[in-house]
Amino acid sequence: MIALSVTTGVRPTKGYLMEMKRRIGFIERGTEFLKLKRDHLAKELTSSIDVLKGRRSRLLENLRVAYRAVTAANISLGPIEVRSQASSLKTGLKLEVLPRAVMGVRYPFIKVETEPQITGELDITLSEAAEKVLSILDDILQLAEFEARVERIADELGKTNRKVNALENTIIPSYRRVIKFIEDKLDEESLEELVRMKLIGGALARRRE
Amino acid sequence: MSPGLSYVVIRSHALLADLLTPEQMRALAGQESLEGFVEILAETPYGHIAIEEEGDASIALEKVFYEKFISRMMGIVDLAPIDIGDFLQSYYYIRFEVINLKRIIRGKYSGLPGTDVLNSLIPIVPYRVKSYEELVEAPTFEEAIRSLEGTPYAPLISSLELSERYNALWPVEIALNHLNASVIFKSLEHLPQSARDIVRRIVQVEADVENFLVAVKQRGAGERAHSAEEMFPATYGINLDKLREAMETDDISAVIRGLGHPYDEILAPIYEGDVALIRSRLRQHIYKVAKRGRIANDFGFNAVMAYLVFSEIEKDDLVGIGWGITQGITSEDILNYLAIPNFV
Repeated sequence: MIALSVTTGVRPTKGYLMEMKRRIGFIERGTEFLKLKRDHLAKELTSSIDVLKGRRSRLLENLRVAYRAVTAANISLGPIEVRSQASSLKTGLKLEVLPRAVMGVRYPFIKVETEPQITGELDITLSEAAEKVLSILDDILQLAEFEARVERIADELGKTNRKVNALENTIIPSYRRVIKFIEDKLDEESLEELVRMKLIGGALARRRE
Repeated sequence: MSPGLSYVVIRSHALLADLLTPEQMRALAGQESLEGFVEILAETPYGHIAIEEEGDASIALEKVFYEKFISRMMGIVDLAPIDIGDFLQSYYYIRFEVINLKRIIRGKYSGLPGTDVLNSLIPIVPYRVKSYEELVEAPTFEEAIRSLEGTPYAPLISSLELSERYNALWPVEIALNHLNASVIFKSLEHLPQSARDIVRRIVQVEADVENFLVAVKQRGAGERAHSAEEMFPATYGINLDKLREAMETDDISAVIRGLGHPYDEILAPIYEGDVALIRSRLRQHIYKVAKRGRIANDFGFNAVMAYLVFSEIEKDDLVGIGWGITQGITSEDILNYLAIPNFV
């Protein structure tokens, strides 16, 4: 097996060295930007997780209350009657999911087009349950949206971190090694050139004598 | 007492032993799985019940329990003297048919597929209408109601005007509730005088509680509230003034206290905002009325009525337990809304 070093196929020329230096400068600037992005995302994620925990526990408590009301309605009216009454609602919930972005991270934004309308056909038990569910509908949607946003930010943070690590630990050192290799090669070549010049100069001087 | 009545009374006494005890109900509600529920039920007179694997098991169970109740009821109707048999058939069939008509009308109103509507119906043969399928196939819900011309449900047609005015279904449902109570009160004429009281008390308290709950629902509606006269074409123990008061008051507890017994007891869960508990209390009250009726006269119609009332409440409780178990609800939460295990 032939082991390929980072310098395999490298042309040790001044032009190539300049190109490599231009590239590493660009990569280092990009790495700095990615680090900034990573720090911003981490900050955003930390603050979002705190908000998420608070929202989620509030919603879970409200959901528990709403589900207790739905349970009571089903046990007291029977599931078929509950379904039948629920079907008498003419307008259902219609949602549109639109894309939004923060720091280049796309996440879904939920727009409510129509909300279910309770027009008085429901039994009071079911009506109360439906009102409890409707009252937390916005919270459920907002939490779903927020969770998706946090998930995407966490995902993007992971990707950015991996990119920064790869750049800092692999790509940039390899470029530096290539640059050093070319610089060493060029120094060697110029030294050889100097020696050669000196030898030629010495030989010409001896001939003149 | 006619010999026919004696036989059906004795039969009812014997059949009372088939009903589930509060302990059996608690054991059923305490099951964590549907398999356990079916297993325990198999040890009772219900025997083994088969539930289709496809679809919602709680819906299948509800149908099974309705079928069992209808067969129990028909068993009594077949044995009873003609006047009592006619009354019982009309009492239960009209009630179930009214529920079926409501489901059909709701389905038509919201444009539900016909098969879904038919699947939601209580499994009885049409009683006063020609066919449920024909009603379901009517092009619109208005036409479905108009096709009831010539049946005892013809007065529903006049409720269409209100329904169109408010663009809502409640006028038709309220007219059906009123029709249900008035037909039952009328059919009481078939019964001997001594037997009428128990039925009148049951139907009246049911209609009153339903009216009161509708009135409570209108609270806070402000200008959107409908007029009391339109909403309550007929009132019984709770009069129109009381219902109007319930619609307008800020302090519902004062109105409920003013209603006196038994309403203050049945409606008390409103104070804590648990309206679903009212139905459990109502069933418990009806259970008590039937039990007291039996104590007053255990060798007449009251014993027959008590058996059917207990049997129907058992069906309602079993439907609740079945749903609760399929949903993984804790036995404590299920038992809270049942009538028989909580009956003191």
